[in-house]
Amino acid sequence: MSSTSTATPVREPEVAEQVDERADEQLDPDRPWVTVVWNDPVNLMSYVTHVFMKVFGYPKEKATALMLDVHQKGKAIVSSGPRERMEGDTATLHGYGLWATVQRDS
Amino acid sequence: MKVRRKQSVLRVDLLPSESALLGEIFDDLSELLVASEEGDPVVQRLYPDGYTDDDAASAEYRELVAADLKAERSARVQACRAELPPSGGRFELDDEAADRWIRVINDVRLAVGTRLGVSETEELDPESESTALYHWLTGVQEMLVMHLMA
Repeated sequence: MSSTSTATPVREPEVAEQVDERADEQLDPDRPWVTVVWNDPVNLMSYVTHVFMKVFGYPKEKATALMLDVHQKGKAIVSSGPRERMEGDTATLHGYGLWATVQRDS
Repeated sequence: MKVRRKQSVLRVDLLPSESALLGEIFDDLSELLVASEEGDPVVQRLYPDGYTDDDAASAEYRELVAADLKAERSARVQACRAELPPSGGRFELDDEAADRWIRVINDVRLAVGTRLGVSETEELDPESESTALYHWLTGVQEMLVMHLMA
């Protein structure tokens, strides 16, 4: 909060640039967005599996496989689609305490 | 603490000491959610960046969701606090309530685990009271998740 007054003039042009960027991205249907879940040392394997089943409606096998990817490979893509929906998924996962981020599919 | 699946609900039995401890833990979490400051590592863990490589997009994401996430977290812990029998005893949770309980317990584990510096590689100090609390919460959460998924 204390840095608000100095940050404001810098932030404005960035926001303007970003709006343009988003418009371009939405014209490129071949590169969807994804939600990535990252490994962390606190969340339990059983809990993460439960969250994938509950949030995405995945069957237990798929949820378990994704959880194992997170645990063993460090991350897993758990959903893909339009950017706004990936931000929604990420927010839902943050509400469950999982470490999730949005990115372009590479 | 004992948990059993009884048809569509989880039946939970708590000792008076466990009720007292959970009450304190829930109150501490409620307070933390209201009083916490942005630089606090626990706050950073509960409200992570939405993007790994784009600070502007992360700031925009945070502006969109942070207030709702915070309000929902507070509502969940308050609902659990209200369901907790004040001096031990039996209570029942349907699947939605059990889901809420494990989320609240998880928030506490994230807070305690972050303060303890839990990592994949290093052992926690076995003498510390926070370590004991962390392990107890892990057991409680594991038990609830197991019965919820059964």
